[in-house]
Amino acid sequence: MDATTAMYVSQGMHGVAYGMVLFLLASGLTLILGMMGVFNLAHTCFFMLSAYFGYQTIHWTGSYWLALLVAPILTALFGILMERFLLKKVHAYGPIAELILTLGVSMIILDGVKVVWGTQSLPLSPPQSMQGLVDIMGLQYPVYRLFLIVLSLFLLLVMSIILYKTRLGMVVRAAVSDAEMVNALGINVPLVFMTVFGIGTWMAGVAGVAIAPILTVSPGLSHQMGMDAFIVVIVGGFGSLGGAFLVSLICGLLSSYGIQFFPQYAAILIFVFMAVVLTIKPEGLFGEKES
Amino acid sequence: MKKSTRLTVWAIGLIVFALFPKFFGIYYSNIIVTFAVWALFAVSLNMMLGFTGLLSFGHAMYFGTGAYGTALALTHMDGLPLIPAVLSGGVASMVLAICIAPLVVRVSGTAFAMLHLAFAQFMFVLALKLRDITGGEDGLGGFDIPPLQIKGLFSVDMADPLCFFYFAIAVIVIALCCLWFVTKTPFGQIMVGTRDNAKRIDYLGFRVSHTKAIVYIISAAAAGVAGSVSVLHQNLVSANDAYGMMISVFPIMMAMVGGARSFFGPIYGAAFFAMLEEFTTRYTDHFELILGVVLVVFIMYWPLGFAGMIMKLKYKWLTWKQSRKSQGSAS
Amino acid sequence: MNILETRNLSHDFDGLRVLVDVNLVVEQGEKHAIIGPNGAGKTTLFNVITGTYKPSSGKVIFKEKNIAGCGPYKIQRQGMGRSFQITTTFDDLSAFQNIRLAVLSKRGIRFNLFRFVDKMDDITQETVEILQRVDLWDDCHTPAGLLSYGKHRCLEISMALATNPDLVMLDEPAAGMSADETHTAVELIRKLTKGKTMVIIEHDMDVVFSLADRITVLHHGTILATGSPQEIKENKEVQAAYLGQLEE
Repeated sequence: MDATTAMYVSQGMHGVAYGMVLFLLASGLTLILGMMGVFNLAHTCFFMLSAYFGYQTIHWTGSYWLALLVAPILTALFGILMERFLLKKVHAYGPIAELILTLGVSMIILDGVKVVWGTQSLPLSPPQSMQGLVDIMGLQYPVYRLFLIVLSLFLLLVMSIILYKTRLGMVVRAAVSDAEMVNALGINVPLVFMTVFGIGTWMAGVAGVAIAPILTVSPGLSHQMGMDAFIVVIVGGFGSLGGAFLVSLICGLLSSYGIQFFPQYAAILIFVFMAVVLTIKPEGLFGEKES
Repeated sequence: MKKSTRLTVWAIGLIVFALFPKFFGIYYSNIIVTFAVWALFAVSLNMMLGFTGLLSFGHAMYFGTGAYGTALALTHMDGLPLIPAVLSGGVASMVLAICIAPLVVRVSGTAFAMLHLAFAQFMFVLALKLRDITGGEDGLGGFDIPPLQIKGLFSVDMADPLCFFYFAIAVIVIALCCLWFVTKTPFGQIMVGTRDNAKRIDYLGFRVSHTKAIVYIISAAAAGVAGSVSVLHQNLVSANDAYGMMISVFPIMMAMVGGARSFFGPIYGAAFFAMLEEFTTRYTDHFELILGVVLVVFIMYWPLGFAGMIMKLKYKWLTWKQSRKSQGSAS
Repeated sequence: MNILETRNLSHDFDGLRVLVDVNLVVEQGEKHAIIGPNGAGKTTLFNVITGTYKPSSGKVIFKEKNIAGCGPYKIQRQGMGRSFQITTTFDDLSAFQNIRLAVLSKRGIRFNLFRFVDKMDDITQETVEILQRVDLWDDCHTPAGLLSYGKHRCLEISMALATNPDLVMLDEPAAGMSADETHTAVELIRKLTKGKTMVIIEHDMDVVFSLADRITVLHHGTILATGSPQEIKENKEVQAAYLGQLEE
């Protein structure tokens, strides 16, 4: 591969890697939103929290794989606790109250990590086996980013199988579409809510540990990818996984090529994209019009 | 409350306000000005939130635009008088709102809230990138505040903190009165109707999108005025002061904690907030953490905020009075 | 004159045909009831006429203008009022404020930012008159959401009528009411719709027969029969449709 093509391909793959991790982060958010009608502002904070848990695990045990296993589960636990004890109580006061509750929790987590771990950026090294470069048709590409793409695709596959081939998945999809109806069919909807909340937060946790070696662990992590995740959900359509996937990829590529070709305005490209889509279709690319 | 009692309370308030700087000094007078700015900002947000049911997570976009509007006007226009300088902030925000309103009224609920989060973020990035205009991270500052004057009649120097105190409070009170008045008009009824049941408003023959647009523009203009006064007070505006994430969050907190269903709620919230800040920043850096906890606790146990508590107490007092009356007549 | 006519009105929901070639005719001044078994498409018909949905095909001619696809607010301003089967009022506002909003709309006062609404005496007076006429004066300061069911429904109906529409569409006004409440509601409707044209969806046949001049029967999205109450009572097809429903 010649140098120019290598650059394009390399940037493209960076974009895909980022986009896939972004999708992991955004998918939980959009599912929770579509099913429960709650936009969990604390979702990206859980993403960041998991990166911190991952850092701490590696700090104590030295094992990246253990961190990848433990941190997301711990984070998911926190997510479920928030859903059970805080969100549920506020549900009766309406969606705005729920939104504000998640805002409060996000503030607690954002500042809380500073209390425990300080304000500096903390490094998180990828595992030995995933370091270094690999040769793809003449292009030297970082193994770890390849790992990100593979991991995300794998989780995407598993998630798709669960959602579309199992009974639980069917119930979840039905609940995303019409939670009341599912309740009327005698299914324990609060349990379904809790499960989806837990799994969504877990995936954000995986995204957190996964991206940490590249972005490093810092209090700004939530904000960095958070904004993009919000845009993915809004533009992709609430509750739409397909929409989230597509928009995540677009955002990843825009970001990557944007930094390459329009460094000054890379950040702005995504906003313009969002404004354009919302002007034409306010409910998002794959969203459903609120009746 | 009887009219005479109400007038007395206002008169006392006026006297306290007039004498405040003399007794409490410049430090606390500055805190009052900051409080007043936040109060106006929070009330402007509440026009949308508590009165029309629209939550924006990016209201900083209008506060910041007001601040930059006034700062840029003063930096680039020599001899600009004081009142136009203040107004230029409000006008800048209003113009921005008019441009965005057609897009924004088609979106509602969570999307509305998050769209504004993104917009505010966009303005933040813009302010950082356009260093030549906005001064980027360092910001704009060091401009002279023009005196309040009518040529030939009088001139009041605004560099004097005491004079500025009176001016700033006056401007904010006037803006608040305007907003209060709006809630008392027929349009104010349509606003709360839209909050309660937008469907019914539609079927009664009112255009919901137009209503939202007008509230939006008024709210933006008021936020712009707040930003204006703020930049005159601080004599500095930077990207973070103008469009930072917390700038959007604070008025939401103040409105919710103070009570979103009441016009004065956000003002109570701003006061609570100012006192909390004064008190906690002496002991800890982690103000945000405390704010988060306060927000969570309030939304779970006192969703109607201070205003709600006051209403409950009022109701309890009235029913107690009622039972005393009936006891009295029975015996 | 026919104040309302639908011409070949059809509507689909995601491929499901809910209304099929409906040609409804409502004469000015008449009290017209639409009845039919559950799922016949009555509320959808209402929704298409009042602007909730744009019909898949066909026309809705109101006062000789095609209003198909116009938004609800536009149609209301042309003179059509509507009440809902599920009470749609401003639950946090008082009964007084609810009616007042309808009065403000009637008078075209929409973007008035210049007067104290509480000091607009003519508005207040008209609102008070309406509240007294519908027996809600004692509850005028009660938030709508706290009214008893019967009074709440009464408020719902009054709001539709307070805008003084030429045609009022009432969707199951007596829904969920006890026998006494229904009787009161019927008297109220009769009083308030004197001289107006009314179209009403109802399941309660007593209500239908005491209010309607003409009845249209809807079944599976099409008009089965139209005629006077007597004609409909004796119509064999109508009986079959209803009995068929019972057997299903």
